[in-house]
Amino acid sequence: MSESFGLRASVAGEEPAVKLDDVVKRYPGGVLALDRLSLSVAQKEFVAISGPSGCGKSTLLHLIAALDHPTSGTVWVNGRDLSTVRDLSYYRRHEVGLVFQLHNLLPRISVLANVEIVMYGTRLSSRERHQRAMELLAEVDLEGRANRLPTQLSGGERQRVAIARALANEPKILLADEPTGNLDAESAQRIMELFGRVRDTGVTVIMVTHDEVLASMADRTERIERGRIASSTVNR
Amino acid sequence: MPYLSFALRNLGAKKGRSIGLAAAVAFAVMTVVTLAVTSSGLEQSAAAIISIGKADFTVAQKGVTDLLSSSIDANQLARIRATPGVQSAVGVLVETEKINPQNPVFIEIGIDPSQLKRFGVTVLEGHPYAPTARNECMVGWRAAANLGLHVGSLFRADGTVNTVTGIYSTGNSFGDDAAMFPLPAIQGYNRVPGIVTLVFVKVRPGTPISRVEHSIQYHMPELTTIRTATQFGRADRNLVYLKAAVTGSTILAIIIGAVIVGNTMLLSVFERTRELGLLRAVGWTRRRIVGMILIEAAALALIGAAVGVGLSFGISVALEHVPALQGILHANYTPTAFWRALYTALGMTFIGCLYPAARAAFLAPLRALSYE
Ligand SMILES: Nc1ncnc2c1ncn2[C@@H]1O[C@H](COP(=O)(O)OP(=O)(O)O)[C@@H](O)[C@H]1O
Ligand SMILES: [Mg+2]
Repeated sequence: MSESFGLRASVAGEEPAVKLDDVVKRYPGGVLALDRLSLSVAQKEFVAISGPSGCGKSTLLHLIAALDHPTSGTVWVNGRDLSTVRDLSYYRRHEVGLVFQLHNLLPRISVLANVEIVMYGTRLSSRERHQRAMELLAEVDLEGRANRLPTQLSGGERQRVAIARALANEPKILLADEPTGNLDAESAQRIMELFGRVRDTGVTVIMVTHDEVLASMADRTERIERGRIASSTVNR
Repeated sequence: MPYLSFALRNLGAKKGRSIGLAAAVAFAVMTVVTLAVTSSGLEQSAAAIISIGKADFTVAQKGVTDLLSSSIDANQLARIRATPGVQSAVGVLVETEKINPQNPVFIEIGIDPSQLKRFGVTVLEGHPYAPTARNECMVGWRAAANLGLHVGSLFRADGTVNTVTGIYSTGNSFGDDAAMFPLPAIQGYNRVPGIVTLVFVKVRPGTPISRVEHSIQYHMPELTTIRTATQFGRADRNLVYLKAAVTGSTILAIIIGAVIVGNTMLLSVFERTRELGLLRAVGWTRRRIVGMILIEAAALALIGAAVGVGLSFGISVALEHVPALQGILHANYTPTAFWRALYTALGMTFIGCLYPAARAAFLAPLRALSYE
């Protein structure tokens, strides 16, 4: 407890996957969502960000995903200051993978196509995209659902498709915002196991959840309250 | 799923709207193409009159409202003949007359029989009329066939009843669907003694045609020379105004079409806000978003252009059957007409899509994701 910087982050010779220094995020309305928050996540670490609703968890994730900018402070990803990254589309496509709580998938195209569309504009041919999408779906045990529409899947299956898609361009970091928020306990459990496997393949996983039990399944839990790190727990 | 299919699936998902949009494009294309082909048809029929005579170029009065009101007097004709390099200059008087409902613009040519050969006329049957005969004429073989005339028949035209002395051929379908009269007879009937409409000039071998043209235009600035249909505007103001009107309507149709397409595409972008936000969040570039919308637009344009050309074809065929327009209006489908259809449709949809595409590209991904 209360070692507010990750243990693994201090392992010599390795750049942290994500590092936030004194990050402040104030929304235009005046809400202070992050209040001089500092955090470090090591490479290949599985970190859960927990805390009550409105404490700033999503804001934190959006800053790491470069979907928003901090008001002050610096976000480092794999040693790079995000404010200096010019091609943010490239960053979002290749450096991080994103999973949201809801509305992850386009409803009118197949599960397979949902995975394929993030690979447009990469070097892969149409056939290679198809092949890779099928492999990813197999990894999340959904190869049999490839040609279904997202609406024909359960909530847990849909989140697994979103995870497969997030991994399509081989990002080093997987970011998930309440991926289990709408799932029953069993499905949520399965997602957590999947994240563990993803971490085992060498991907850093940062997952936001307000569920303390699920959070305790990560390597480490960072609890946020009112925009600051309130506590840090190493689970294993 | 290939990118193209992904980009086009939205058209398939909203079929009613896509059909409506394609219909709007098709309607604009139809208007533009119909105007273009019928005006080009008019140009073609006018050009046909100068193509009847075998000549290097034709001389007409400059700036008249239509070619047939050109008027060249005997003195001018003599000066054209005297221009260095001119081998022959045949003056003809051209009139049109409604001889029956099927032939509202029957062409009548006044020409001296001595000039027939130079003009490119071959007498197939019978013989030419006498130079100053009052009630004689020759008819082209097409006209003869259409009107049931033979050598010796009586032909009521030019205000009198004329005996057909011969059947001729010019090798030009307009010329062969006409009649020829002694020059004084047709001048007298139209009260224009000594006046001809056009002068068909042949240049001496070895002399550059353009030099002779320039010489005539220089010494007689009230006249102009015409070699091709596009030079027609020099003598035919009506055609110039008509073309301006066609250009104006084309621009108008493109603007109206662009507004309709733009409006609908904007609505479609708003409806897809969350989807577009998601695509941006997972790494789609602005360019790819714009590309997707432009592909939709191009598909609409192609469908609209194809349907529009089809509709236009139907309409111009129908117009040709309107009694008042028969024989006057005929559509001239040139490759230009199809290009015009294509660029009208593409221009319209792309202009219309500019703003919606920009809106889509500059959506803030987070705001778009939380859009309800
Ligand atoms: N776009 C925004 N504009 C203004 N305030 C916002 C915006 N997004 C979030 N907030 C506010 O910032 C605070 C933190 O929000 P958020 O990061 O979404 O919390 P959490 O994900 O932990 O529930 C909340 O008070 C929320 O109302
Ligand atoms: Mg949240």
